[in-house]
Amino acid sequence: MIKKISALVLAGAMALSLAACGAEDKVTPPGGSNPGTSASGTSSSSGSGELTGLTEAFAEAPILLTTGGQSADYQMVGTLMKNLGMDYTMDNKATSAELGDAKTLIVVVGGSSKGLGAAGIDADGELARVDELIKGAEDAGLSIIVMHTGGSARRGDLSDKFITPIFEKADYAVVVKSGDEDGLMAGVCASNSIPVDMIDAISEVATVLPKAFK
Amino acid sequence: MSMKKMLSVLLAGAMAISLAACGSKTPNPPEVTPKTPSGSASVSTPEGPTDDGVWRPFNEKGETIRTDRDATGENGMVASSNVYATMAGLEILEQGGNAVDAAIAVCYALGVAEPFTSGLGGGGFMIVHTADGENQFIDYREVASSGQTAESWLDDSGNLIENANSVGGLAVGVPGEVAGLELALSQFGSGKLSRQQIMQPAIDLANNGYVVSPTMYGAIADEYERMIGEYSELGQYYLKDGLPYEVGDTVTNPDLAKTLQLIAENGADAFYKGEVAEAIVAAVQKHGGVMTTEDLANYKAEERVPVTGTYRGYQIISAPPASSGGTHIVEALNVLENYDIGAMEVNSAEYLHLFSETFKACFADRAAYMADTAFADVPLDGLTSKDYAKTIYEKITDGSQDWTAGNPAQYEGNSTTSFSIADKEGNVVTVTQTIECFWGSKIAVEGYGFIMNDEMHDFSTSLDSVNKLEPGKRPLSSMSPTIVLREDGSSFMSVGSPGGLRIWPTVTQVISHVIDHNMDIQEAIDTARIFDNGTDTGINYESGGVTPVTADVAAALEAQGHAVTDKGEWQLFFGGVQGIVYQEDGTLRGGADPRRDGKALGF
Repeated sequence: MIKKISALVLAGAMALSLAACGAEDKVTPPGGSNPGTSASGTSSSSGSGELTGLTEAFAEAPILLTTGGQSADYQMVGTLMKNLGMDYTMDNKATSAELGDAKTLIVVVGGSSKGLGAAGIDADGELARVDELIKGAEDAGLSIIVMHTGGSARRGDLSDKFITPIFEKADYAVVVKSGDEDGLMAGVCASNSIPVDMIDAISEVATVLPKAFK
Repeated sequence: MSMKKMLSVLLAGAMAISLAACGSKTPNPPEVTPKTPSGSASVSTPEGPTDDGVWRPFNEKGETIRTDRDATGENGMVASSNVYATMAGLEILEQGGNAVDAAIAVCYALGVAEPFTSGLGGGGFMIVHTADGENQFIDYREVASSGQTAESWLDDSGNLIENANSVGGLAVGVPGEVAGLELALSQFGSGKLSRQQIMQPAIDLANNGYVVSPTMYGAIADEYERMIGEYSELGQYYLKDGLPYEVGDTVTNPDLAKTLQLIAENGADAFYKGEVAEAIVAAVQKHGGVMTTEDLANYKAEERVPVTGTYRGYQIISAPPASSGGTHIVEALNVLENYDIGAMEVNSAEYLHLFSETFKACFADRAAYMADTAFADVPLDGLTSKDYAKTIYEKITDGSQDWTAGNPAQYEGNSTTSFSIADKEGNVVTVTQTIECFWGSKIAVEGYGFIMNDEMHDFSTSLDSVNKLEPGKRPLSSMSPTIVLREDGSSFMSVGSPGGLRIWPTVTQVISHVIDHNMDIQEAIDTARIFDNGTDTGINYESGGVTPVTADVAAALEAQGHAVTDKGEWQLFFGGVQGIVYQEDGTLRGGADPRRDGKALGF
């Protein structure tokens, strides 16, 4: 009897321990309950949990596409979206007033001093703009997708200023791997349970992005 | 043991096991890897991938590497901003051509492999020192079209139409590169190689392709919006499936190869007359310009007398107007000669204060006096006189000052690329050439593969300026290809840089590093630089790289009244110097700038 009770207690404790550890590691993507691997087959551990790729479509059109940092990367994503026939508008200076009937906000992060100058805004002003836009999107119930597609060339003091505060707000992220050698974006995603697809080149956005849309 | 006690022990043990298991998965925060090594450029970083045998200025991660730019040679040396162009020049030297032959090869190759900085649609300056002691300057700067005036790009209120002086047809000057290189070949070529042989490396490069660097990728990305929009002809050459070529991609330009071959066969007439000229005019006028085929047919490159001076016994030979650069290099060195610069620590507060004050004084003179001497009286002798420099020296105090132009008359007297070539005979060539801003006017000549300049951007838009646009006039430049000779007249150094207004202050600093601090040319190029033209940003400085300006030094400069602006490390802002030095034992040391894609090669 004592043997049976001991076995039951130990089994129960083992089950508890497995459940406790598993709950800390489990990352739930929007609309899904099972973690998956990223589109490129890469997942890495950092932050508070494992990274997972997107496993289920969650976003809807129409889309508002903007930049976080005024680099040309958002225009390149726009080109890809145009080629895919996606329903979107582009506005590099969008505020919450421009959300309109959009159901998804896409922010392509990357700082460009040339772009900021052309837009007539400084880095702090740009960050404030995007922050206000995202708050508006959240209040309106939009899905938020954040991307960093400029690779290592789009890292540095200026670009990094935009990365953490914008990535933290994402429902899903897409990152060109060479831009995240230090794991900054992976860490933010892991810490915030944001599914992220790490891709090799910006052209792969054309493969992963449509899968996010219902 | 009682049942109760046993259960407690079992539960406690099970809890301990579960805590230990979860504890082993406690995460660590992501490690941050430093992006670039700081300190000395001698810190080794992996060399670029060389799968096709050609050196790369970037590593397998697509990051620009800051080392392995220099070379040593006995017979000849080429240092340019692009390894393919450097190879083109070296090939010509190895075939028996002289430094001028090689320079022409490099010019054409740069237009292929570094198309955003110079090319057939642009212009430049070449300075030559021959082994028998002759110094000559070839001015192939662009000129304003005959039908354009200072008012052409102003609206009804007299304000500049947005970007009209930098983008589109009214920004374009009549290009001078082909005429200039033909003049150089006829006057100073060795005669041993034909034009076809000299241009063949560039033709092959355009047909076979070159690899995109991070610098080029960034240049494409910066103009992406125009390339997919109004200037789609440019996008046809430098986008792939609607996106920028990526780092490591190979780009070919058969249209440009065709154009180069036309020039190889028929010389300057192939460019300034006939189908190419008609295509240029069509492209420029399509985008609002007024250039005509007559403008092209009338273009002439000019031979000029270089600006000269001395610095601690060395002879300085540099660019005359329409460049301001050479004059102000001589002026600045004349001022600095009054100080024991060699005894000062490089990039200390004491050192930088003197350079800052000197530069500000020279810029004040530049704004007041410098222009195309065909259209304005420029007091060259005064500006380059030791006595005039003394008046500046006497005004320099321990505090930062605002400077106004002096009176040299009483003493009467960055988009861009620069390269240096030297051979063992002592022939030296320095060339700085450009299409002005990266990608020039953004107008590509469809079917012919090259880009038109926006050199008119170098004119002042003020109708009162001595440097306002006038038909046929050359805009003021800062380009400063420079040659330095020893006291005995033997060749010592070739040096030049792109970088707009930063050109001549950059060249001045590099010359001082070599002469005053006996630096190797590569160290002189690597060393962190400053720029100060008397505006609100004050002393712009590099806070990283080799011998950076430290926070303590910046604070000391602020205490002296300077404004300071930290530009970071390895900034394109401070130019891209290439240089060659003849060492005491006769060997050649070539250096190239890690701020861009520069590479020196020798043999």
